[in-house]
Amino acid sequence: MMRSALPLLGLLLAGAEAVGEPTQEPGAPGEPPSGLALFRWQWHEVEAPYLVALWILVASLAKIVFHLSRKVTSLVPESCLLILLGLVLGGIVLAIAKKAEYQLEPGTFFLFLLPPIVLDSGYFMPSRLLFDNLGAILTYAVVGTLWNSFTTGAALWGLQQAGLVAPKVQAGLLDFLLFGSLISAVDPVAVLAVFEEVHVNETLFIIVFGESLLNDAVTVVLYKVYNSFVEMGSANVQATDYLKGVASLFVVSLGGAAVGLVFAFLLALTTRFTKRVRIIEPLLVFLLAYAAYLTAEMASLSAILAVTMCGLGCKKYVEANISHKSRTAVKYTMKTLASCAETVIFMLLGISAVDSSKWAWDSGLVLGTLVFILFFRALGVVLQTWVLNQFRLVPLDKIDQVVMSYGGLRGAVAFALVILLDRTKVPAKDYFVATTIVVVFFTVIVQGLTIKPLVKWLKVKRSEHHKPTLNQELHEHTFDHILAAVEDIVGHHGYHYWRDRWEQFDKKYLSQLLMRRSAYRIRDQIWDVYYRLNIRDAISFVDQGGHILSSTGLTLPSMPSRNSMAETSVTNLLRESGSGACLDLQVIDTVRSGRDREDAVMHHLLCGGLYKPRRRYKASCSRHFISEDTQERQDKEVFQQNMKRRLESFKSTKHNISFTKSKPRLRKAGRKKKDGVANTETANGKPPRDLGFQDTAAVILTVASEEEEEESDSSETEKEDDEGIIFVARATSEVLQEGKVSGSLEVCTSPRIIPPSPTCVEKELPWKSGQGDLAVYVSSETTKIVPVDMQTGWNQSISSLESLASPPCTQAPSMIHLPPRHLGTEEPWAPPALPSDPLLNFAFPPSLAKSGRSRSESSADILQQPELQPLMSQEDNTHLSPGAANPRWCIQFNKGGRL
Amino acid sequence: MGNKQTVFTHEQLEAYQDCTFFTRKEIMRLFYRYQDLAPQLIPLDYTTYPNVKVPYELIGSMPELKDNPFRQRIAQVFSEDGDGHMTLDNFLDMFSVMSEMAPRDLKAYYAFKIYDFNNDDYICAWDLEQTVTRLTRGELSAQEVSLVCEKVLDEADGDHDGRLSLEDFQNMILRAPDFLSTFHIRI
Repeated sequence: MMRSALPLLGLLLAGAEAVGEPTQEPGAPGEPPSGLALFRWQWHEVEAPYLVALWILVASLAKIVFHLSRKVTSLVPESCLLILLGLVLGGIVLAIAKKAEYQLEPGTFFLFLLPPIVLDSGYFMPSRLLFDNLGAILTYAVVGTLWNSFTTGAALWGLQQAGLVAPKVQAGLLDFLLFGSLISAVDPVAVLAVFEEVHVNETLFIIVFGESLLNDAVTVVLYKVYNSFVEMGSANVQATDYLKGVASLFVVSLGGAAVGLVFAFLLALTTRFTKRVRIIEPLLVFLLAYAAYLTAEMASLSAILAVTMCGLGCKKYVEANISHKSRTAVKYTMKTLASCAETVIFMLLGISAVDSSKWAWDSGLVLGTLVFILFFRALGVVLQTWVLNQFRLVPLDKIDQVVMSYGGLRGAVAFALVILLDRTKVPAKDYFVATTIVVVFFTVIVQGLTIKPLVKWLKVKRSEHHKPTLNQELHEHTFDHILAAVEDIVGHHGYHYWRDRWEQFDKKYLSQLLMRRSAYRIRDQIWDVYYRLNIRDAISFVDQGGHILSSTGLTLPSMPSRNSMAETSVTNLLRESGSGACLDLQVIDTVRSGRDREDAVMHHLLCGGLYKPRRRYKASCSRHFISEDTQERQDKEVFQQNMKRRLESFKSTKHNISFTKSKPRLRKAGRKKKDGVANTETANGKPPRDLGFQDTAAVILTVASEEEEEESDSSETEKEDDEGIIFVARATSEVLQEGKVSGSLEVCTSPRIIPPSPTCVEKELPWKSGQGDLAVYVSSETTKIVPVDMQTGWNQSISSLESLASPPCTQAPSMIHLPPRHLGTEEPWAPPALPSDPLLNFAFPPSLAKSGRSRSESSADILQQPELQPLMSQEDNTHLSPGAANPRWCIQFNKGGRL
Repeated sequence: MGNKQTVFTHEQLEAYQDCTFFTRKEIMRLFYRYQDLAPQLIPLDYTTYPNVKVPYELIGSMPELKDNPFRQRIAQVFSEDGDGHMTLDNFLDMFSVMSEMAPRDLKAYYAFKIYDFNNDDYICAWDLEQTVTRLTRGELSAQEVSLVCEKVLDEADGDHDGRLSLEDFQNMILRAPDFLSTFHIRI
C-alpha cells in the first residue's frame, strides 16, 4: 500500500508547491512579460484533468499492487482494500493539507462514476437468467426495499423515542424515514464488487445483483418523496402527496425503463447502418447509453434503470450488427471503464470518510442502524422468500436466504445520497453522514470479508464454469418450444407462453428492423454456438500445436477449413485427449517438411522450455476458453512435448531413411492442399475466419481428386484402426525402405529399422503393440483432422496393407509414422520393462498375427477408448480391457519387444 | 362441487390420482382445460369411459401453436397410438410428466422420446437433423445442419456408436443440474 501511496505523496507535494506558485505568478500580471519565456509552469490550466488522471492512475496502480499478491486478493475483496487505501490516502492528504481536499462528490458520482458500472452490468447481464427470475428480483427490489426503508426508519425513530439516541440528533419521523430510504437500498457497485469474487451460483447472484440494480427506482422515489416532505415540513403534507408519491414510483421506474428501451432501440437501429464506419461503432454504444442515463437523470427518472434497460435491450441487436473487432472493443472498454469507476469510487469513499468536519458521531444511532438494517434485511428476505417459494419452480433454500440477507451490501449510492441532503432542512445530516459511512464500511469491509468464508462454510452451490455445449443450446431451445407448446395446448398463459410470444415477435419484426440483413441471416443461435465452439476449438488448437502449423506455412487461413472439415473431431480431440491433435499435427508436420526437422526439434525444445510461461498465460485467459481440466490438459501437454522431443531425436538418428521416400509425395500433397485452400479463399472472397464449411467442401474436393482410389478404401474401414496400426507401421517402413510390399506377414525382414526379434514379439502380441501405439495418440477421429496430409501417407499404407492381405483399415493412415516414433520415445526404458511382462513369453506363431488382429477387431469398442487413453484421465481406465489397462506400459513392452 | 363429482366416478378419480402426480383438484382443473379444447366433442360426463379423442388437426391448428416447431411431435409422443390424437388420459399424462413431482428420469425419458423422431429408441443423426431443422426454421443449409448434428452427437455420444441412446441422453442432460429443473409447467 505504501508503494502506491508514494506517487500520490509526490503528487500532493507537487500540488502544494503548485498551489503556492501560481499565487506568485499572477501576482504580477500588470508587468509586461520581460521576454519570451523559455519555460512556463501552467499548473492551473491543467489542474483539474491532471488531478483526475492522477487519481485514476493511483487507483489503478493500487489495483496492480493488490494483485501482486494472490493471497491477499483471494482473502480480501478488492473493494475493502481500496477503501482502506482511501482511508490512508485521505489521512495523508489531511495531514499535509490540513483539510480534506478530495471526497466523493455526489455530482461526480452520479454523472460520471456510476453510469459505466451500471452500463457494464446491464450490457453483460445474462438476460435469460434475469427474466427467468424476474418475479423474485422485482419482489425483492420493490417490496424488499420499501420494507427495509420503512422498518429501518421507523425503528430508528422508535429508538430515538426510547431515548437511546442522543438528544443532539434533531430528527423527526420523516427524517428517519428519509434516512431509512437511503440507507436501506442494496448498492449495485458494492454487490458487484464483492459477489464477483465469491462465485455463488448464477441464480443467487442474479437475484441479489438484479435486486440491487432494480431497486434504484424505489430508492430514488423514496428519497425524493421524503426529501420533499421534509422540505415542506410534515405539517404541510397532504393525503394527495402520499398518492403522488406512490404514483411517482411508477412514473420513475417505468419511465426510466422506457427511456432505456427507447435508447436501446435507437442504438440498435443506428448500428444497423454503420457498415462503412465500423470505427465509431463502440463509440455509439457508449454515447447512446450515456445519453439514456443523462436523459433519465434529466427527467428525474431512474437513471440506473434506464441504462440497465438500454444495455439489456440493445445487446442482442448491437452484437449482431457491429463487427467482431468492435464487439471486442466495446467489451474491453466497458469493462475498463467500469472497473476504473469502481476503483475510484471505493477509494474516494475511503478518502471521504476521513473528513471529520462533515460528520458527527452518535453511538446509539450508529449501532441502532447497523443492527436494524441487518435484522430487517434478514427478516424481509425470509418473509419474501417464503411467499415467493410458493410460486417458484426452484425454491430458494435456507442457505440462499442467508447469503441474500448477508449480501445486502450498502455502498456509494447511499453515501452520495446522504451527502446530497440539505443541512438546513435536515439538521441531523452530520449524524446521518457518519452513520452512513459506518454502515457502508461495515457492510463492505466486514461483510465483504466474511461472505466468502461464509459461502464456503455453508456450502452454497457455486457457479460452475462449464463451457456452453451445443447440446445445451439445442436442448434449451427445444425445451422452450416444448413447454410453450404444452402451455398452448392447455391454454395456460404462463411464462413460457409469453416468452414464446416475445420470441416470435422479435423474430418477425424487431430483428428484421434492427438487424442487418446479413447479420440476421447468420444470427441463428444454434449456428452461432456452433460457430463459436468452432472458433474456440481452432484457437485452442492453434494454442497447442498451431505454431508448428504456422511455422510450416500452414497458417490460420487453412484452419477453419480443416476444422470444419472434421469439425467434431477437433473438438472432441481437444476436449477429450487434450492436445492429442497437436501431436498428430506434429507428425504430419515433420513428415512433410523433413528438411525442417531441425527447426521442429528446436521448436519442441522451446515449447518444452517455455512451458511455464505459457501456462500462466493460459490461466489468465482461462475464463473464456479453457475449462476446468486445464491442469490436466497441461499435464498431457508436458507429456506429449516430452514424447515429441524424444520421438524427434530418435527419428532423426534412426529412422532418417524411412522418411526420405515419403517426403516428396507428402509435401506435394500438402502444397496442393494449401493451394486448394487459397483458391477457395480467393474464390469466396471471404476472410479466412468466415470460410466455414464452404471451404471444407473445396478442400475435400481437392483431396478427393488427388487420392480418389484411397478414398474409396478408406470409407470401408472406419473402425479398425487399432489392429491395423501394427501392420501399417511395419508396412510403411517396409514400403519406404524397400519400395516394395512383401506379400508375407514377415514384416520383420526389414532389418535396418527394426531388429527382428522384437518384431516377432510384437506379432505374437499384436493387440498389445496395437494398443500401445494407439493408446498414445490416435482417436478414430484423428484421421479426419489431418486428412489431406495423412491420406497421402496413408495411401501407401493402404496399398501395403492390401498386399499384406490384412483386413482393410482406414484409420491406419494416421498411424503410419507413429509407431517408429513411439518406439523411439520409450526406447530407453523399455528393456527393464520387458522381462516384467509375463505375456511376452507367450509366443504366437507369426502367422497368428492375423488372429490377434481379429481379436482386437472384435473388441473394437474397447480399443477405441484406449486410443485416447494416455492423454485422458484415469477414469477412463475402467473401459479398458485388462490387457489395455495401462497403455503406457503397453508401449513399453511393445518397444522392448522390438528392441 | 356437485357437478364436478358427476364428471368422474370416485374410482376414476382415485385411479387418475394414482397414475399421475396430481391431486383431485388439479385433475378436475386439467379436465376442464381438456374439455375446453373441443367443447362440442368432449362430454362432460366421463363416468362411462367414453372413447373420445381430440384430433390432432384441432390441436395443430390452434393459433398459438401455429409457429411451434414441435407441436406435432409432442402430440405424437404423448398420444397412445402415435398419431397425435389425444385422449384425456394422454392429456393427463402429458401434464403429469411436466409437473414438478415427476422424477427427472421420467422427464428425461419423455424428452428423449420427443427427440426420437423415428421411434427407434436411439437419437440418430437423422433425428437430430429433424430437431435442428425445426429449431432453426429451415434457416440453415443442409450442410450446416449436418455439421451441427455431428457435433451434437459427438458431444453427448458416450459409447461412440454414432447415435445417442437413452443412457447417453440422460447422462448428458443430468450433467447440467439446472437443465431439467426448468422442465416444468405449473397448471
